[in-house]
Amino acid sequence: MRTIFYLLREAWANISTNRTTTMVAILTTAFTLACVGVFLLLYVNLRAAAGWLQDDIKIMVYLDDRAMAATVSEVEQQLRGDRAVGAFHFISKEQALGEFKAQFPSDSHLLEGLGQNPLPASFVVTLTPPFRSPDAITRWAERIGGFAGVAKVDYNQDWIDALSTLIRSIELVAIGIGLILSAAAVTIIANTIRLTLFARRDEIAILRLIGATKTFIRIPYLLEGAVLGGLGSGISLFMLKALYELFRQQMRTTGRLSGLDQLMMFFPLSICLMLVVVGIVLGCAGSFVSLRRFDEAKV
Amino acid sequence: MIQLIHVTKQYDRRFALSDVSLEIEKGEFVLLMGPSGAGKSTLLRMLIGAERPDDGQVFVNGKNVTTLKASEIPYLRRKVGTVFQDFRLLVNKSVFENVALPLLVQGVSQGDIKRKVTEALRAVGVEHKRDQLPMSLSTGEQQRVCIARAIVNGPVVLLADEPTGNLDPALTGEIIELFKLINLRGTTVVVATHDPSVMAQVNRRVITLVQGALMPAERVGA
Repeated sequence: MRTIFYLLREAWANISTNRTTTMVAILTTAFTLACVGVFLLLYVNLRAAAGWLQDDIKIMVYLDDRAMAATVSEVEQQLRGDRAVGAFHFISKEQALGEFKAQFPSDSHLLEGLGQNPLPASFVVTLTPPFRSPDAITRWAERIGGFAGVAKVDYNQDWIDALSTLIRSIELVAIGIGLILSAAAVTIIANTIRLTLFARRDEIAILRLIGATKTFIRIPYLLEGAVLGGLGSGISLFMLKALYELFRQQMRTTGRLSGLDQLMMFFPLSICLMLVVVGIVLGCAGSFVSLRRFDEAKV
Repeated sequence: MIQLIHVTKQYDRRFALSDVSLEIEKGEFVLLMGPSGAGKSTLLRMLIGAERPDDGQVFVNGKNVTTLKASEIPYLRRKVGTVFQDFRLLVNKSVFENVALPLLVQGVSQGDIKRKVTEALRAVGVEHKRDQLPMSLSTGEQQRVCIARAIVNGPVVLLADEPTGNLDPALTGEIIELFKLINLRGTTVVVATHDPSVMAQVNRRVITLVQGALMPAERVGA
């Protein structure tokens, strides 16, 4: 217990001895992690948006006009027994015409000239959540398109593809920037710890002489790194939250994208905690880098 | 207790130790004499695994120090107390905390730390200074604290590198008497010094190094 108390006290001594350096390191780490956080926040919101859009996707399974009632019934049975299908309903040719006239009353005369109803009967299908990814939708559409009596399967493929490409791009950018800025955070913390190690080199030499193990010597510095990283990460979350709220308020007041602010989301608590843990891990990594170099020095 | 077998160490092609072989028995008090740069400190540093010989082998307390892994060195050092000319005390920690440090790194219980530190401070005569900071002590008292730290966990060997280098003759005598007392309790003591007056006060075996080489005739102090 006394040893633990000693190690904690030493870690605190490290932090409080170099207050200015520590503050600079925490704030620089906070800004660095906030930059990563902006991309992460964008990514999280776009993923959520993509999820909502995909939830709302209706797949139109158009039937061949020549299809017999038995064939249509067979397609219906296939849909009913398909575990990818969450819900579906049938729209007859007459209902399709009615809906068209209701939606486009000024253009309804275009169809009257044709003599007969050109609109096909269809099934409107909503897929279950595991089958809502762009790839899964494409695979499902191809499979259903091959059924007898099915003329065409239609959905907003371009839209989904564009969105998923955007998400993938942001994901890659976020990973790239995240890696670069994480390395920067590690370097910042490593330099701060190096200053502490330099300031306390005589003390470390004494600890080595009296039989302190590497772990015993390292713990206060690893704790210092963890505190720097954890606090930096925590502050970056506060900065992001403030920016996020400011952005939402701007959206509400300008009115241009009003309503969209209701759909925006900040990181859930689990991700906030994960980011703090990432900060702690980066801080420890920074300490470790400096300690490794310091260990190579002689007593 | 201590054995060096054909130990050689060079720095920049200059011999710090040249084919040194010697043996120190358990419970011995040995003076390691020689001018500055003779290799005394290098030899002591080898005994605590702070230096590795280029050639030869070093044994301390039955362990071959030359083959010890880096992770095993701290455990060797817990058996070997060290005292230095410049004391190497932590200036921001009290006398008690300084002496408690070797016990703390071993995870000794709070009660045992209190008891052992008090005993060590009493043994070197600075028990009344336990709450003071090192810089408020005289040089003689600082060296006593350093000795207390070296003996607090009951080492089998005590190594002292120029322990009286910063002390006047009267204090030198006091410190040498302390080493003798520690030796009487069974601890092997090796004191490295270039000061002939120390030899005059210690009637024990003398090992002389000159330019890294062991002098053939080992003398006994007056």
